[in-house]
Amino acid sequence: MTAVSTHQMLLDPGMDLTLRPMRYPHFFDRFKDAIKNTWTVEEVDLHSDLADLARLSPAEQHLVSRLVAFFATGDTIVANNLVLNLYQHVNSPEGRLYLSRQLFEEAVHVQFYLNLLDTYVPDLDERTAAFSAVENIPSIARKAEFCFQWIDSIYALRELRSRADRRAFLLNVICFAACIEGLFFYGAFAYVYFLRSRGLLHGLASGTNWVFRDESMHMAFAFDVVDTVRQEEPDLFDAEMEQQVRDMLADAVECEVQFAEDLLVQGVSGMSLADMREYLQHVADRRLAVLGIAPMYGSKNPFAFMELQDVQELSNFFERRVSAYQMGVSGTVSFDDEF
Amino acid sequence: MTVTTTVPEQRRHGMQVRKRNGDQETVDVNKIVKAVERWVADLDEVDPLRVATKTISGLYDGATTAELDKLSIQTAAELIGEEPQYSKLAARLLAAYVDKEVRLQGVASFSQSIRYAHQQGLIGDATAAFVKRNARKLDDAVLPDNDLRFEYFGLRTVADRYLLRHPQSRLVVETPQYWLLRVACGLSQNPSEAIGFYRLMSSLAYLPSSPTLFNSGTRHTQMSSCFLVDSPKDELDSIYERYHQVAKLSKFSGGIGISWSRIRGRGALIRGTNGKSNGIVPFLKTLDAGVAAVNQGGRRKGAACVYLEPWHPDIEEFLELRDNTGEDSRRTHNLNLANWIPDEFMRRVEADGDWSLIDPSDAPELPDLFGEAFDEAYRRAEKKAVKTVKARDLYGRMMRTLAQTGNGWMTFKDRSNALSNQTGAPGNTIHLSNLCTEILEVNSDDETAVCNLGSINLGAHVSASGVDWEKLRETVRTAVVFLDRVIDINYYPSSQAAASNPRWRPVGLGLMGLQDAFFTLRLPFDSEAAISLSTRVQEEIFLTALETSASLAEEFGSHPAYAETRAAKGDLHPELWGSALGQPERWAALKLRIASHGLRNSLLIAIAPTATIASIAGCYECIEPQVSNLFKRETMSGEFMQINTYLVRELKARGLWTSAVREQIKRAEGSVQQIAELPAEVRSLFRTAWELPQRALIDLAAARAPFIDQSQSLNLFLSAPTIGKLSSMYLYGWKAGLKTSYYLRSRPATRIQQATVAILPAASHEEALACSLENPESCEACQ
Repeated sequence: MTAVSTHQMLLDPGMDLTLRPMRYPHFFDRFKDAIKNTWTVEEVDLHSDLADLARLSPAEQHLVSRLVAFFATGDTIVANNLVLNLYQHVNSPEGRLYLSRQLFEEAVHVQFYLNLLDTYVPDLDERTAAFSAVENIPSIARKAEFCFQWIDSIYALRELRSRADRRAFLLNVICFAACIEGLFFYGAFAYVYFLRSRGLLHGLASGTNWVFRDESMHMAFAFDVVDTVRQEEPDLFDAEMEQQVRDMLADAVECEVQFAEDLLVQGVSGMSLADMREYLQHVADRRLAVLGIAPMYGSKNPFAFMELQDVQELSNFFERRVSAYQMGVSGTVSFDDEF
Repeated sequence: MTVTTTVPEQRRHGMQVRKRNGDQETVDVNKIVKAVERWVADLDEVDPLRVATKTISGLYDGATTAELDKLSIQTAAELIGEEPQYSKLAARLLAAYVDKEVRLQGVASFSQSIRYAHQQGLIGDATAAFVKRNARKLDDAVLPDNDLRFEYFGLRTVADRYLLRHPQSRLVVETPQYWLLRVACGLSQNPSEAIGFYRLMSSLAYLPSSPTLFNSGTRHTQMSSCFLVDSPKDELDSIYERYHQVAKLSKFSGGIGISWSRIRGRGALIRGTNGKSNGIVPFLKTLDAGVAAVNQGGRRKGAACVYLEPWHPDIEEFLELRDNTGEDSRRTHNLNLANWIPDEFMRRVEADGDWSLIDPSDAPELPDLFGEAFDEAYRRAEKKAVKTVKARDLYGRMMRTLAQTGNGWMTFKDRSNALSNQTGAPGNTIHLSNLCTEILEVNSDDETAVCNLGSINLGAHVSASGVDWEKLRETVRTAVVFLDRVIDINYYPSSQAAASNPRWRPVGLGLMGLQDAFFTLRLPFDSEAAISLSTRVQEEIFLTALETSASLAEEFGSHPAYAETRAAKGDLHPELWGSALGQPERWAALKLRIASHGLRNSLLIAIAPTATIASIAGCYECIEPQVSNLFKRETMSGEFMQINTYLVRELKARGLWTSAVREQIKRAEGSVQQIAELPAEVRSLFRTAWELPQRALIDLAAARAPFIDQSQSLNLFLSAPTIGKLSSMYLYGWKAGLKTSYYLRSRPATRIQQATVAILPAASHEEALACSLENPESCEACQ
């Protein structure tokens, strides 16, 4: 690989090493914001969840066990795509700084869900089974297949030379942002929020809250990459690609709906399958909106509890760990700053 | 492409629920509508059909009727963000649910509820007998309609955590009104007294603190909120005794403050073994685990705050105990941390001087000294300094800890001691504050300070025409009598606590709903009128509390340690502060009464955070500004949407309570500053804590402080803290004379993507760059 300093565009092949002058400062800002959000798995107290787990109905327990089985491998898949596909093609050192940071965050998420399963599933055989959910549980295997198909779609590409290469790359980025992080994880998010709005599984909720704070940034970065490429190469994104994105999202919605069927099969009060389907369609429409594509379903969000995640949180410090603090606070002692 | 649309009616046609007796029944929308309609007479904005259809939409075939009832409560609660009246509806549905649960166990009256709970071993014998003797009067006193006052969040909290539960079935055995009457009976000597106190609480104009609400009338009457434990002596036995004491105090819902300033630092010689000490961190790690292990009756984990003076050699490691990186064996995730700071440190920070770290084994007298005596001893001990640092560097590290963890509270030793009524005799020293930095009481190796608390809901004493001063005085009088009563009935979990409380008889009467009062009177938090009102209210409360304590002294005698107080020498707190008096004649008359009979209580006022009881009362917490016009509370019971009802009323009156405006507020995370249709003065009134100058919060606190003989839990709010802002702010607070401060509240750098607001078109990169240029700190493009 050669270090090219004359390249013009983000997807031009190469390994740009020059941070000054900075071509994409918005990527660098995202990198810095991400650092302020640093959290560690040790901060999450999962043991308080054990009492709740015992209180759940069998239907809810089934939901939780499927959910954590999905989490057990979800982030690893995203990390793999980042390493195998994204990092080499996003030719901006500041963009790669962000991706490096994202990779670290995916690793923390993997560690968090590892901890979660070890805590939730004391039986060793059951634990092993949970970790091999991608093979054993059909509803999860189907989602994994979807992911692998898209990882493989550009795995063979070493450089994005042709227009077709770049379009394939964009589809991969959009897939991971809109479908995998933006729909699979987002769907899972709704289940956790549902439980949390009812005061259940605080440990899962607080860890997942931090995970999703990170995931929201990953998604925003990926869409930022898409926007940047579209501005640099407007002809890449045409009606054909729009149709491909719609097909891909429709496929993802179906994957996630069959997962919901599995999760909700025993009947969970407050979360019906019909509502979940509507919710997923609504989320898919939102992903399309980010890309400037007209909505495909016209569905409304049926889950009022999702509003709760859109507003500031205020915890009683003696009940919950407060997640509102930043790392890397800067400055020096002074006595006349405004406050 | 197939576009699927859902037709919920089809799937739900003929959905069945299982009744409590096992029968199946078809779900009927009209039945749910009827159940809702029962409660909406005064709620004109509630749509019963909407609640019913939404409830059914979330239901599954074969659910139980109990699930259906719970789901309808939840469904109503989820509409609060759209229309606050749904909060009242959800509360009433919940009250009906609780009521049914109690009745199904055969309990039809208050006295039956007490008898039943007594049989289950929940109620103390004395209270059971008192209720039995006065059953008819007490049963008649219950005011079931007062349940209508509750908001959903408050009642949910009550139902989940305050109502007594059957030990096996876990069903609640008392209704909300029975609960408050039970609390009153546990502290009363005759039925009329009990009924008067019950009415006050039931009106939500005053509530005692949670331990009293949990435990009054039960078999374990530990009703105090706060315990202040002196530092262990610098020896192993004493350290392990403290672990034991903390565990006992914690078990019965007490919050612990404990000093650690007497324990030698890392590297100090241990004569007994000729080894070197590992310092305080490993011991605090043990304390951390101990505190987390104690479960307060299933309600929450234990909680403690460790205080350290900044001359201690391990201060730098202490400040890192809450970091989320680094070696985990040197991190304490459950302990809170506070700095107990002598003025000499702040003076050296200002002068940019050196600061000596001194091992307590070389200067064991330091924790017991304050003021000039401390300054002299400290300077003498500096010759033996273990290490010298720049005072500003250490101060900067304290600020960093505050910014990154919210912990490491700044509390000021000299001011706390110099102005305390309890430090009138030599040898009496306040060594620390408590878990919430509002209690300041002397303690020692043999005496653990105790304080029981209660808070007045100021909002309930204010109307648009002003404060009802007579009602406020009446509330204070009742509150002080019952706070004082706790001291004699209380169960003390440790002998050190039992030794202290009867001698000093301190209580902490606080305040909540200050923000409600300001909204009602339309006073911006940082206005002159707000400062003068808040100060006047505090003077009225303190004065009336002292008058009541003087009356109690006339009846029962002064507290045993009265001779050791500054009041015994004729000095009251406002004079020690050097403050002007709003009502000089009343103060003069009071002083004459005190001179002849003394005071029943050494301390009377402390403004606690009121996190939970303010939710029950449905008001804003203590003296705090609102954090947002729209936010959620997270507790063990779940998540609860909180909306500023004063703002909603204002917007409705202006025809602005529309979904577009709601979305604007949500998008701005509860700020109304961008709503152009609102006049500037309205936007100013509805600023959030993040939008107010923090200087104003400090000025308000300092202005009321002369009338607070203990202290106040003062939180400060900076959404993007820097060391520069923090160091300026806390220096200002110290100079303003604050005794203590509490959390630094902060906000995350980025947030989770919002799911329920419309997607906006992405800003072009030119715009993004322009933004960066306006904000050079975050701009890397042109550097």
